[in-house]
Amino acid sequence: MSEIKDDADSIWTDLAKKGVSRRDFIKFCSTMAATLALPSSFVPRIVEALEKKQKPYAVWLEFQDCAGDSESMLRATAPTIAEVVLDVISLEYHETIMAGSGRQAEKALHDVVKNQKGKYIAIVEGSIPLKDGGIYCTIGGRTALDMAKEVCGNAAMTLAVGSCASWGGISSAKPNPTGAVGVGKAVPGITYVNLPGCPMNVENVTATIVHYLTFGSLPALDSEQRPLFAHGKIIHNNCERRPHFDAGQFVRKWGDEGHRKGWCLYEMGCKGPEAHFNCPTIRWNGGTSWPVQAGHPCFACASTDNWDQFGSIYSRLQNVPGAGYQTTADKIGVTVAAVAAAGVAAHAVIRATKGKSEKEEKE
Amino acid sequence: MAKIAIDPITRIEGHLRIEAQVDGGKVTDAWSSGTMWRGIELILKGRDPRDCWALTSRI
Repeated sequence: MSEIKDDADSIWTDLAKKGVSRRDFIKFCSTMAATLALPSSFVPRIVEALEKKQKPYAVWLEFQDCAGDSESMLRATAPTIAEVVLDVISLEYHETIMAGSGRQAEKALHDVVKNQKGKYIAIVEGSIPLKDGGIYCTIGGRTALDMAKEVCGNAAMTLAVGSCASWGGISSAKPNPTGAVGVGKAVPGITYVNLPGCPMNVENVTATIVHYLTFGSLPALDSEQRPLFAHGKIIHNNCERRPHFDAGQFVRKWGDEGHRKGWCLYEMGCKGPEAHFNCPTIRWNGGTSWPVQAGHPCFACASTDNWDQFGSIYSRLQNVPGAGYQTTADKIGVTVAAVAAAGVAAHAVIRATKGKSEKEEKE
Repeated sequence: MAKIAIDPITRIEGHLRIEAQVDGGKVTDAWSSGTMWRGIELILKGRDPRDCWALTSRI
């Protein structure tokens, strides 16, 4: 990890040497296409790119973080390749997992920045404090800001992983004691993608890198610099508990009948109607589950200022945007339930009338 | 007598700097510094107590 070798192997050749079967490789490429919301006709292009391209060099910087995004990366199980990120990129520097310490570590970072200038990927985890000259986060005697300017400024692109690196995250929650900001704000002018989430979802990070390798460009981004494939849809609209919302079936107390039956968590404070993330479809831990499936309301971890803009995690959202008009989720739920009830009633009337007329006919 | 500093200490969560005074091959004194601070305690002040687990579990 500490020295850079000229490795001529392509990503696929390298994976094959590690014992990854062709079948698993194709499956991985298909999963990436699906994550990127691309039709299956793009799978051959991804396969071709990974067959030809070498692993890009990457460095992983940790600033004001909890290493949760590193944990998320290391626990990648899907798609089929255990060390998916580590296999697609050549990670030269990562404080939490690298062997070298002190000067050795600093040298590894310096070598990539110098020898791979303009070609490597900078992955940033954690926010950057700007207050008091940036003294609230230093590594090897340098401030986070100083390091980010050099490392991100010389990279081909920067991936801000997790909410802290994207927009400040927890560190920037009121009163933001250290003046923490995301990397895009700290180092203006760099090419970057925000991959928020607390933590980020490793499949979205990998898919962004695969997109870059396949098409030579960043995926389509929203106004907050997040990939549309991951943040283009509202959680509420893809939620498996949505039918219960529409039916007016809400959890009202932890452990009540509705909670046990998997009803809608809106009244318990779910921020799903305001959160743009692909959690319901991609899920976590290799597609096992996600917070709402586990019975806890979404707290919009990938939305800017989520710790302050929505009140408490457990306070109910007041206004939920409906189909082109502003109303409350309660009203939508009740209206839909009322319509459904009216439908049932109408059906009953029809049946009753029909039954009556049939009866009359018989008479 | 020499003073050595190792920063960053890797394979740990967080940011750590260790300085040590070495005298004839023996460490005679040592100092450690956590080199990152976010002020989670200040962020927690005045918040809904029910939210605190979500913030503190991310230290």
